[in-house]
Parts: sequence; structure tokens; C-alpha cells
Amino acid sequence: MLPLEEILKKLHDAVVGFDEAGAAQAARLLIEGGYDPLEGIMHGLSTGMDTVGALFKQQEYFVPEVLLCAEAMNAGMEVLRPHLQASSTRTLGTIILGTVQGDVHDIGKNIVKMMLEIGGFDVHDLGNNVPHKRFAEELARTDADLVGVSAMMTTTMMGMRSLIGMVKETKPHVGVLIGGAPVTREIAKMFNADGYADSAADVVGEAKRVMAAVKSA
Amino acid sequence: MSKKMLIEALRCNRTPRAPWFPYACINCAYLLGETADRYLQDPELIAKGVEAAAKRYRADGIPLVFDLSVEANAVGCELSWWPDNVPSVATHPCAQMVSPRQLGLKLPTKDSGRWPVLLEAGKLAKPRLDALDCAMVGLYCGPLTLASHLAGVRIFTDFYKNQEFAHEVLEFAAEVNAVSAAFYAELGCEVIGIVDPVASQVKSATFREFVTPYVQKGIQVIHDAGATSMFLICGDCTKVMEEVCTIGTQSFAIDEQLNLGYVRDMALRHRVGFAGNLKLTLSLSLGVIPPREDALVSLAAGGTHGFVLAPG
Repeated sequence: MLPLEEILKKLHDAVVGFDEAGAAQAARLLIEGGYDPLEGIMHGLSTGMDTVGALFKQQEYFVPEVLLCAEAMNAGMEVLRPHLQASSTRTLGTIILGTVQGDVHDIGKNIVKMMLEIGGFDVHDLGNNVPHKRFAEELARTDADLVGVSAMMTTTMMGMRSLIGMVKETKPHVGVLIGGAPVTREIAKMFNADGYADSAADVVGEAKRVMAAVKSA
Repeated sequence: MSKKMLIEALRCNRTPRAPWFPYACINCAYLLGETADRYLQDPELIAKGVEAAAKRYRADGIPLVFDLSVEANAVGCELSWWPDNVPSVATHPCAQMVSPRQLGLKLPTKDSGRWPVLLEAGKLAKPRLDALDCAMVGLYCGPLTLASHLAGVRIFTDFYKNQEFAHEVLEFAAEVNAVSAAFYAELGCEVIGIVDPVASQVKSATFREFVTPYVQKGIQVIHDAGATSMFLICGDCTKVMEEVCTIGTQSFAIDEQLNLGYVRDMALRHRVGFAGNLKLTLSLSLGVIPPREDALVSLAAGGTHGFVLAPG
């Protein structure tokens, strides 16, 4: 039986090396070794995606490589998920996610979704080109803590301002995070968003920060 | 207004001042008080819109449209229309890894998709822009972005997992591009640009394998027609700047994220024209940075050798 640290490294390396079969195999080793699958997710697959996020920021990895790493991570998750204890699957919070109305670009949003799920959030993904009304319906239907919105284009980004206004008016205790190619921290502040993630690598930390901030407000 | 000055700059020559090339498209509809969807489906409105924008902005060149859904729609992708934006591509026929050839997709003709509207608009607009000494610029969706329209997100992972399929989709995109270039050349566009925004989202080796070869057919058509060529890319393309400079077009345009001083030095070293770098978001859309100051910064950095002032 391999030591836990060695298996975690295999999980990490399989994600970073976009090795789907390797990730699944390492995940099986973890289960066969009787280790906690949550350990594999948090300290193997997740840390692998942290490394991927850093490589993306350094422009060593680009969109194709990040997508392949995400597929490797999913392969490992598929093996580990059925073995998670109910207590392990308790969520940190609920987030409603989507790309803003008029914007069909969802590559980044889908990676963000995966990062949030692996980070412990319950994600209600509304998809792309989501009308404000659909966000409002989902807010009314769920007890969400956060709303996450992305935009790829400058023109569609402008619609975020009214969406944030709608959320703040109807559910002032819900935090809003925004991101996407044209969005900056300055714009997030201008639009009255509670949080901004520069990349998918930052989103879990930012979501946790915003949740804590809105809960304590 | 001077189309000659625009062409000279794009061909990396010195000019008395930096020519000005606003990428107005939906803004033209706004100037007319029209919605984007109505505007883009009416040749007379498009012709009126580009004329109005050219006059108002005293442009040296203006695109007939800046709409990357035209090529995809012409080969069968369905569109979603918006009142305040260009249409977006809603379906991806090759998404199940069925190649364009297997699907039997046909190259566009003058009757395909929205080409009848654009060709009519171009015929109407050309003499009006000539009268203003403003170049009419034809812009078409470049191969990688068109491939992503055809195959969806999977095209990015197919660069590794299914290379043969990726090449097949790109080969078809290249042929579609050549048709667009020919249509714009026939309309008399003095400048024809290949717009490939997602090309910044791949590493240099991927760019060299999956972008550079597939723009060549279009470039050949542009140059054979005596028009001036551009390659327009979005996002942070720092890592592929060398590839952009050497792709084969006479000029390129970059995104607001790039440092114009760096871009200028790269462009001049490779003897190609360059366009940029007004801040589309912070300056032109939100006014966080005063547009006048933003323009002065770009003009100072760009100079008058091979530089065209344009949105980034």
C-alpha cells in the first residue's frame, strides 16, 4: 500500500499533467488504501488545480491545457465521489452561477463552477446567456448565499451592473462575485459587486471571503 | 479623413499623423437610433450607419460590420439575436466530433446566411465612404474562432486529443475565410482584416500549428486583390506576439491589455503596421479614464511610423 502523501502527489501530478487515466488510477489507489476520499479531493486534485491556476497566471498554460487538466480532475472525482461520507459533502455555501444575458461564452464560467464545487460549494449553474429574471427566480427558489456572474465581452459586461442592482434590491444579504475577460477589480467596485476573481484559481478564496463579509454585515 | 494614410500606416510606412480607425459596428446602429438586430439585417441601415459613424468620428477607415457570427451562420450555425449587440453563435454543428466534410457543410456563396445583406450594404456604403475619403474595411472571423463556432469548446482540447479532427475543422474554416476575403475584395474594401480573438488563448506552439497555416489562404486572396491585410487579436496575446507579427498580414491590431510601447517595438522590428490601443472598457465604455487622455497616451506611444489609432 502506498503512503497517502505519495498518492496525493500522484493525484496532483495527474491533474497538472492532464492525465485522465492517471488521475483515475491514483484515485482508485487512494480508495483501495482505505484513505479518506476527501483528502484526495482537497489535497490531491484541488492542489493540482491550484498549480494549474498558477501556471495559467504565469502564461505557461492556456485555455486548452486548463481544460485538459479539468478533465483529468473530473476523472479522479468520478472515482472518489461515490466514496464520500455524507458528512464530507456538507457544503460551505450555495452559489448561483451563470454568464450574463447576451453572452454565450462559458469556458471560464465552467472552470469556475468546477473550482467552486471542488472547494465545497453547492453550485446552481444556470448556464450561459442568463436573463436577469432567471437569476431572480433562482434566488427566490433557493437559499443561496452568493451569485456569481461572468461576461466575456465589454458590451455584455455592462449588463452586470443592473443584475447586481437587482440582487441587492431583492436579496441584500446575498453576495455577488463577478469575473470574466473585460472585468477588473475597479469595475467590480464600480458595479457594486462584493467580490471579483481575476481567474478561476482565485474564485474559491474570494467566494469564502465574500460569504464571511456578507454574513457579518 | 484619408484612406491613403490608413493604408500607408498599415503597410508600416511613416504618415504625417496617426490615422484613426474606429471599430464602430453596433455603435453605428446607436447613432441612427436603431436596435442592433434591426440594423444588421437591413443593408440601407448599415450603409447609413457606417457613413454616419465615419462622418461623426472623422474616421480614416471604418468596418462595414464587426460581427464574427457571419461566417459561422453562412455555413449553418444558428444565431441568437440581440437588440444591443451583435448576434452570437448558438449551435455548433461539429460538436459531436463530426467533421465539416462528414456533415456535408458547403462553402458560403453570395446567397448564404447574411451575405446578401452585407454584400448589398457594402455596395451602398462604398461610394458614400469614398466621398468621405474613408476606407471601407472588411472584417471576417478568423480560423480558430470560426473553428470554435463550428465545434464548440471541444476544439481546444482536440488540439491535443483529436488533432486530425481539429485540423479538418480548421482546414474548412480556412476555406470559408478565403471566400469571405474574396467577397470583401470584390466589394472594393481597401483593407481586409482577419479577426481571431480566441487565438490569444493558446500557447505559441499551438498558434503555429493551428492558426498560422489556416490564415494563409485568406491572406493570399487579400494580397492578390491588392488590398491591405490585418490580423486582429483580443486578450493578452503577449506570449504569441512573435507569431502575430510573423503571421503574414501587413498589420495587426491588439487588445487594450497590451503595452503599446512593447507592441510598437515588436511591430517595427518585423516591419508590420500595428493598431491600438484605446481602452475599450475603462475609457470608451465606462469613462473611468478620460477618453481624451487615453487617446493622447496611445498617440504618444504609437508615434507616426506604422501606427493606427484604434480601440484596443
